[in-house]
Amino acid sequence: MADSLPTEFDVVIIGTGLPESILAAACSRSGQRVLHLDSRSYYGGNWASFSFSGLLSWLKEYQQNSDIVEESTASWQGLIHETEEAITLRKKDESIQHTEVFCYASQDMDDNIEETDALQKNTSSVTSSTTTKPLDSACLSEETHSLYATDHELPAKGTPKSDGEISLEVTDVEDTLAKEKYCGDKTCIHTVSDGDKDENKPIEEDNTDQPKRNKITYSQIVKESRRFNIDLVSKLLYSQGLLIDLLIKSNVSRYAEFKNVTRILAFREGKVEQVPCSRADVFNSKELTMVEKRILMKFLTFCLDYEQHPDQYQAFVQCSFSEYLQTKKLTPNLQHFVLHSIAMTESSCSTIDGLKATKNFLRCLGRFGNTPFLFPLYGQGEIPQCFCRMCAVFGGIYCLRHKVQCLVVDKESGRCKAIIDHLGQRINAKYFIVEDSYLSEETCSNIQYKQISRAVLITDQSILKADSDQQISILVVPPVESGTCAVRVTELCSSTMTCMKDTYLVHLTCSSSKTAREDLELVVKKLFTPFTETEIDKEELTKPRLLWALYFNMRDSSGISRSSYNGLPSNVYVCSGPDCGLGNEHAVKQAETLFQEIFPNEEFCPPPPNPEDIIFDGDDKQPEAPGTNNIIMAKLDSSDEVKT
Amino acid sequence: MSMEDYDFLFKIVLIGNAGVGKTCLVRRFTQGLFPPGQGATIGVDFMIKTVEINGEKVKLQIWDTAGQERFRSITQSYYRSANALILTYDITCEESFRCLPEWLREIEQYASNKVITVLVGNKIDLAERREVSQQRAEEFSEAQDMYYLETSAKESDNVEKLFLDLACRLISEARQNTLVNNVSSPLPGEGKSISYLTCCNFN
Repeated sequence: MADSLPTEFDVVIIGTGLPESILAAACSRSGQRVLHLDSRSYYGGNWASFSFSGLLSWLKEYQQNSDIVEESTASWQGLIHETEEAITLRKKDESIQHTEVFCYASQDMDDNIEETDALQKNTSSVTSSTTTKPLDSACLSEETHSLYATDHELPAKGTPKSDGEISLEVTDVEDTLAKEKYCGDKTCIHTVSDGDKDENKPIEEDNTDQPKRNKITYSQIVKESRRFNIDLVSKLLYSQGLLIDLLIKSNVSRYAEFKNVTRILAFREGKVEQVPCSRADVFNSKELTMVEKRILMKFLTFCLDYEQHPDQYQAFVQCSFSEYLQTKKLTPNLQHFVLHSIAMTESSCSTIDGLKATKNFLRCLGRFGNTPFLFPLYGQGEIPQCFCRMCAVFGGIYCLRHKVQCLVVDKESGRCKAIIDHLGQRINAKYFIVEDSYLSEETCSNIQYKQISRAVLITDQSILKADSDQQISILVVPPVESGTCAVRVTELCSSTMTCMKDTYLVHLTCSSSKTAREDLELVVKKLFTPFTETEIDKEELTKPRLLWALYFNMRDSSGISRSSYNGLPSNVYVCSGPDCGLGNEHAVKQAETLFQEIFPNEEFCPPPPNPEDIIFDGDDKQPEAPGTNNIIMAKLDSSDEVKT
Repeated sequence: MSMEDYDFLFKIVLIGNAGVGKTCLVRRFTQGLFPPGQGATIGVDFMIKTVEINGEKVKLQIWDTAGQERFRSITQSYYRSANALILTYDITCEESFRCLPEWLREIEQYASNKVITVLVGNKIDLAERREVSQQRAEEFSEAQDMYYLETSAKESDNVEKLFLDLACRLISEARQNTLVNNVSSPLPGEGKSISYLTCCNFN
């Protein structure tokens, strides 16, 4: 069934990353005829997540990218009229560089994946002293029962035990969990059975204080490939953030499921520790003294409405946040917690920005759980797809594996009229939205892109063992030396549906100063031991072991002004790829801004009618053109038909 | 999703080539309608029908592809957390039958292991134009370990049976506690849709 693509649209969107997908949903929802294309075979562009084997083929594509001879696609020159000119689009993606893979798990098959470093070309001199964006607190008007909202005194009886009912974890679970681990061991056996040659390798099964570690082999990882959903970009959703608000407002949230991030961690003096951030956490903390608990609670309570107490910080607005914290009687470890784990800012950030970030963190606490963050099951890559689904439900047309050769511009008006796809088909539209990485070198020649350094690790244990082995943790490792960036570490457990049982998926992210490996390796070494090094050093063995690691640099095209692109027609809009920030605020803001620019009078992603309320009329008029704002044929009816 | 009185809620997802009658099957079942010349379905995400089986109320949430199958661009997230899949082809269209292995590959990749799959040959009212024999389809479904049924959304043949049988099967699976929800997420009840969370917080 050779279905051919319609050729008349209101909006053509190229790229299925998060901002493009939100825009697609918004446009389609407001009645525009939307064509949404991606040249890849998967959704999300650099926002995608992959199964393990999917990730390997993604890597292969980038490693081969350089030597692909441009295949001759249908010629388009003949389709351009005299009054028109063409803006060609990029033929191959160059937003990923310096991919390097290391396999530490034993490989019992001969398909060795070795260090690969194929892409060494154009290391655009990296300009990355830019700090990560301060977390914007716009749109945070809703009231919630924040854990600090009230200004009451600390209850004097607030000893860890009396507050036990708020605490999530109870300590005596440890034994049962250790047993569960052994069971887990058994279920794995069948997957190892085929000719495992590594029996001779000693596995350390000793170790007084540790449950036996599972030995995960490379072939197991490959076999369980589907269990992995490995995000190219590592982000979380602030529970009071713009993305959550948008998901709820637009009802796109029904397509996804979420889990709470369970722990905020800190790395101090070579040790990983849990940061108490909710009221219950603070009271239950065994690390903090009573005095520290009071000081911390007092400070955090102040941060929640710091604007009301200018006297408390006015004198320090010129100082950095870290200097300010030193004046607040906070002990060094508390300063560390607030600066790196709660505000998650660079040491150099200003007092006001630090307070703002702290407040944002605290406001997000307690909306859905004990930490301010949510993580989407199956990975961040689900989120763009959810918006695409919404777009499709309202008539948007989807086409992956569809390349666009050029934009056709009318010389006289300077406006873009059409695109020409790889089949030589001309598709007309009024507006065009293009993701940055699709634009040609020529269009982008004035732009110095920032880079993001990323590492993806598969490990055998959590960086901080706890009663439950199903934890989702975030950790910010402060800059190792001055001039380098803080590294954000997210550790996901198997119940997030992003990795196989008995493994953890660890994402590291920082803005680049060098290649990803150079930027991140030091932190990786501090937190993990390569699986293959089997020395029986006690200290080493307490660390989780690395089974597999990938490093790569991703282009950060956020924050580039429209005028930096050469010769962009007035009705062509550019969306950026993922930014380095933890939240998704940049993408949501960009989508909303562009939408308002294109359709100033339309509402951005209004709530759709509830499908449960739609009952079709008997005479059943068809919804013809997708250009309808509402569901014409629907009338509301609250009762479901009940059938016997 | 407010508190309603039903004993079971199942998510059923339809897949198959464009034009084989997926939407017609859903609408025939949920509304008793056969809309001729059905175009793309606009604004309808899923349809709901509550049925009663042996005295128990079963709410079926039936999801359609929203047209994304047309150019082979269904989102993976569409398959997530489905309890059952209805893989549909058109008995008068050889091509739609030949594409089935491709669909099965998608199912294997993205759907849960525990999902129940039913193969449906639709449009038996057009028997004179049949291109795919019942025997071929039966052999295929047996080899793939799927249930198989032929339907006509137009004549309403086997449509009720399709969904009600499926509901029965889902119930008995749920009873055995082997259903997706209980198995694949190690800590039950931890993965939540925001709408569940928000109904406590806001509504």
